Amino acid sequence: MTAGAISQPALRVRGLHKQFGRFVALDSVDLTVDEGEIRAIIGPNGAGKTTLINVLSGQIVADRGSVEVAGRRLRRQHPHQVAKLGVGRTYQISSTLRRMTVFDNMLCAHNAVSGHWFSLRAGRLRTMEDTVLADLKTIELDGLADRVVDDISHGDRKRLEFGMVLATRPKVLLLDEPTAGMGLRERHELIDLVLAVTRERGLTLVFVEHDIDVVFKAAESITVMALGGVFAEGRPDEIAANSAVQDIYLGGNG
Amino acid sequence: MAQGDGTRADSETALQRRDPYAINWRLVAAVVVLQAVLLVVSPPLVVFALIEVMIFALYASALNLLLSFSGMVSFGHAVYFGLGAYGLALSITHFDFPIVLGIIAGPLVSAFFGLVYGILCVQLTAIYAAMLTLACAEVTYAVVFQWFDVTGGDSGISGHVPTMLGLAPHQFGLVVLCVVTVAILMLWRVVYSPLGLTIRAVGQNPARAAALGHGRKSVQLIAFVISAFFSGVAGTLFGIFHGNVFPDYVGVLFTVDGLLMVVLGGLYSFGAGIYGAIVYKLLDNLAAHYFQYWQLVVGVIIVIVVIVSPSGIAGLVRRVVERIGRRL
Ligand SMILES: Nc1ncnc2c1ncn2[C@@H]1O[C@H](COP(=O)(O)OP(=O)(O)O)[C@@H](O)[C@H]1O
Ligand SMILES: [Mg+2]
Repeated sequence: MTAGAISQPALRVRGLHKQFGRFVALDSVDLTVDEGEIRAIIGPNGAGKTTLINVLSGQIVADRGSVEVAGRRLRRQHPHQVAKLGVGRTYQISSTLRRMTVFDNMLCAHNAVSGHWFSLRAGRLRTMEDTVLADLKTIELDGLADRVVDDISHGDRKRLEFGMVLATRPKVLLLDEPTAGMGLRERHELIDLVLAVTRERGLTLVFVEHDIDVVFKAAESITVMALGGVFAEGRPDEIAANSAVQDIYLGGNG
Repeated sequence: MAQGDGTRADSETALQRRDPYAINWRLVAAVVVLQAVLLVVSPPLVVFALIEVMIFALYASALNLLLSFSGMVSFGHAVYFGLGAYGLALSITHFDFPIVLGIIAGPLVSAFFGLVYGILCVQLTAIYAAMLTLACAEVTYAVVFQWFDVTGGDSGISGHVPTMLGLAPHQFGLVVLCVVTVAILMLWRVVYSPLGLTIRAVGQNPARAAALGHGRKSVQLIAFVISAFFSGVAGTLFGIFHGNVFPDYVGVLFTVDGLLMVVLGGLYSFGAGIYGAIVYKLLDNLAAHYFQYWQLVVGVIIVIVVIVSPSGIAGLVRRVVERIGRRL
């Protein structure tokens, strides 16, 4: 919405195609997300949403098509190189460092972007402590700082993963089902947090979500995927009014 | 309510947060003094056993950097141990290095091979990488064993350095104690530095580490070279201790010894190599003394320990310390 005529879209995907064996997971997908936009991706299981996120983050190389991040075309970059371009992602099944404490997980995220990840000076880690604690406060996990991640709840792990991604100062956030498996209240608390941070920092947000209430509350625009392709795209009210979308996806929700 | 609790807990952690990874100098001093006293008062046979334990504690700790922290498995780590001893020997016999330079060359030769083999091994992951470490080790063993003109084949090399540098056993023991202590403290600094945090992140979850911006290959390669270097320090000490070097030093038995020590000591714990070396060598000596089938006995004991405490001796120690701490 804030994107002027001059600025590049944050993400531009054209003709993306990916096949696993003979199974077509992505079928000429086009997607343009403006800078600062909040975009939800919805669609039934197996529609290709995770595969799309995996291609955008460099995890999977597409068979055909192009991906541009802020005007820069990706050419088979590895995930860590895409991360350095300012694309941060979370996983459908939260991906954290399970044997470390919550504090050390956040410390890892700061360490990764400190420019001194190879340093042997332990003192450098101590200088990051205040920022780490402040970040844990932002995601309201400061009370669990010294708990090992294996011992915290599923919802808190999702929250931590989001916090770690934030700590790497991304420009584009790709969240794959950030609230999957959470209770109703937890779910809305997390999405409120995500929205607050996204708006405050002017980030671009692309999130996959199954909870329709969450989608309509958060998204400025919605992409509906089905069978590996983009089935519909538009503002929330347009999608809600689209009878074809209702048939394949929203139908169940009445 | 939960909010209030959170804030209070935070201000406490902020105030009380002491660095859990700072070196516990008092503990280090106590262990070093105790060991020094043991070396001085014990009869030579015990001193020899203590020296061997120290050398293997370093070797296993170096291997543990890979197994517990970097997410790699090496099925051929004796290569880096043994090449330390070969580096020492060959630099003296073939390049006329003075002994001091030979001692420095040993670990560097190990690190160099760690770099070369490491570059190959990090291209793969999991069991495939582990099998490649094994293949590299087999190649090395074959070359060392068969290149008679250079390595002396299976009769090895000896006489290049006076056994124990010509020192009395307890004197040499004190030298080993110094070197091993410094080396293990350096490994501690590696594991709990920014680099170590990176290594542990990549080791625990390469996908998350990548999403944070870390490339797996380069980080694992660094860990591999560091591990090879310190294994080489241990191997160099071993070569001086015995005043010789044989192909066995790069062979599969030394590899298995290291692996067993780490597993016995307790994966995912820094002390694994130290605990493992002490208990394994103790078992080894005692069992060989009292039982005909001592290797079987040692094997059975290891299986029991691993079943009773999957976190190994380190886990047992941690639980005992916690229990005592709660009583006090
Ligand atoms: N690595 C893979 N190998 C083979 N098939 C895959 C792979 N990843 C995803 N798929 C298949 O692609 C389809 C789309 O998967 P995915 O993108 O995870 O869907 P969604 O996230 O929309 O539920 C699924 O049928 C899945 O089984
Ligand atoms: Mg999915």
